[in-house]
Amino acid sequence: MHKFEKLVIRDGEKFFYRFSIHQRVQHIVLFTCVILLALTGFPLRHPEESWSRPLYDFMGGTEIAPMVHRFAGSILLFLFVYHTIYWIVLFMKNRILPLKRAGKLTIGSFFQQILSMEMMPNKKDLYDIIHLWKYLLYFTTRPPRHERMSWREKFDYFAPYWGIPILGPAGFVLWWRDEFSHIMPGFVLNAAYIMHTDEALLAVLFLFFVHWYNVHYAPEKFPAATVWLTGYLTEDEMIHEHYAEYVKVMIEMGREDEIKPQHFGGATYQW
Amino acid sequence: MAFLQRIGVISVVLFGALTFTHQVNAGDELNCTMCHKHRGLSRIDENGKFRLFYINQELFANSPHRRNRCSDCHTDIDRIPHKPAKKVDCTQECHLTEPSGKKKFSHKTIAKTLSDSAHGRYKWDGTLKPHQQDLPDCKDCHDQPLYRPLSFYKGESPGVSKRGISRCKSCHTIGDFAESFYEHITSRLHKSRTPREIVRVCAKCHGDEEIRERHELDDVVTSYKETFHAKMIELGSERTPDCLDCHVVYGENVHLIESSEVATSATYPNNLATTCRTAECHEKASPQLASFQTHVTYSREKYPMQFYMLLFFKGLLAVVMYFFLALIFLELLRRLFPCFCWNKEERCAARAHQALSHDTPEDKL
Repeated sequence: MHKFEKLVIRDGEKFFYRFSIHQRVQHIVLFTCVILLALTGFPLRHPEESWSRPLYDFMGGTEIAPMVHRFAGSILLFLFVYHTIYWIVLFMKNRILPLKRAGKLTIGSFFQQILSMEMMPNKKDLYDIIHLWKYLLYFTTRPPRHERMSWREKFDYFAPYWGIPILGPAGFVLWWRDEFSHIMPGFVLNAAYIMHTDEALLAVLFLFFVHWYNVHYAPEKFPAATVWLTGYLTEDEMIHEHYAEYVKVMIEMGREDEIKPQHFGGATYQW
Repeated sequence: MAFLQRIGVISVVLFGALTFTHQVNAGDELNCTMCHKHRGLSRIDENGKFRLFYINQELFANSPHRRNRCSDCHTDIDRIPHKPAKKVDCTQECHLTEPSGKKKFSHKTIAKTLSDSAHGRYKWDGTLKPHQQDLPDCKDCHDQPLYRPLSFYKGESPGVSKRGISRCKSCHTIGDFAESFYEHITSRLHKSRTPREIVRVCAKCHGDEEIRERHELDDVVTSYKETFHAKMIELGSERTPDCLDCHVVYGENVHLIESSEVATSATYPNNLATTCRTAECHEKASPQLASFQTHVTYSREKYPMQFYMLLFFKGLLAVVMYFFLALIFLELLRRLFPCFCWNKEERCAARAHQALSHDTPEDKL
């Protein structure tokens, strides 16, 4: 099903396939838009701060910066729709059509396919969260063993699915306020204002502290993870973050005897 | 017959004068527009040229000469109906008094400048230049222009514009009349304060808690600063509304700020929609836009929607951020004590395994 090998060995080092070029480009467009939106939005949210005027002027000032903001917002909204169509098409092509051809497509099997999607939160995620807290609070010495998508990554992934439907429409109403006033009362703008500015704060704080911790600040990632560029995880990263998936791929590729023990934060664990 | 014709003309003139006086220009003493307002008023002159005598009153009323009487320029006409008029001489004195010198106004000085220029009719030795018909007089370059919106000279800084003032000084030559008049006019055409300064001026009193208490006023400055209007102004925009734009009726004197309880006020509930939809603001908006709440205080009683929305978003922010920040903090801490566990057996097993591990000897505790 995959165009790429799950495991690539180059100069004796193992690399584990993670993101296609298509997905990586989507991520680049996503973060470019989000960074532009934050740089042109936050000076306006806090205009009285000393940094906001120079930053806003740098981003084009009161005439250009709003245009940049609206342009980036429109692209982001377009990407959101595009990505949703993208996974629906992939899902239909890879999961539903084969079932249909085999004549096994029922309502039950359809929902089963939806629930077993890679990004769908499941029972294992709940156990992993509980396990992680047990580990962090010193009730066990072994960290959770994540599958291909850990619950944190799913949370990161679903954050835009919560954020964009709030930020996007609210932004559009504030942008086309005169036109929207013909179909809705003016106090909707008051609501849109709170939705847009407060959800933006949550999004930016989450990205800056949590997502950037995961991919930048964490000791084993610092200064930056490379998977968003290369599409591959190193063996170390794979062991650290997706041990269950690591073991599964190694066995699948017939390299059971090369499996390394799990390690986390300086400790190693037998698998 | 001729007598009867004359009576007919006079009666038409009288009828017209009585009926149409309300349309007639103030300077139109002879009621010239009675005939000249008709679009078709024209004839073929002796040279076979088509001449149109129609005067568009709307254009005339917006022109620089609107305060001149017809007879100021067309001096040879003293009765109607009249014979073909002579060509207008722009250098003659008109009824206007030039305010700097208190003399009758004339374009003579300009004509002198023109005649001294390359376009003048005489050579330097006083003899006439050849091809006189090609040399321009006033009307070859100047038609009757309309006043244009205020134009800005390129790259001029605040103060008296040299290029601007040179245009005044060609007529108003005496003293510093032109300079002071120029400043008098232009200071009223430009906003003398930036919107930011206007907000600051209002905040002098409206931002003072004691004054507010004495007069039972809301903290409108703080609530205004929560709006995009104020935020754009804070970042240097001159196109977003300050206090005056919403609290003064469009076109009214800025000193007339009325309470929102007065029926003629710009912020009186019935007038809000008109104020929001003022030219250059929310022109295309529907009157519904006026239900936008500008001075929001986030009090539960007054603004419940805003209060509960804010509570929800701040709550969500707190839950998400505290959860993840706690997690990050504990995870970083966990790396310092990788083998520690409250359960003694597990702790010993981890340490024993760590001691045996040859893969990462440097990681031992």
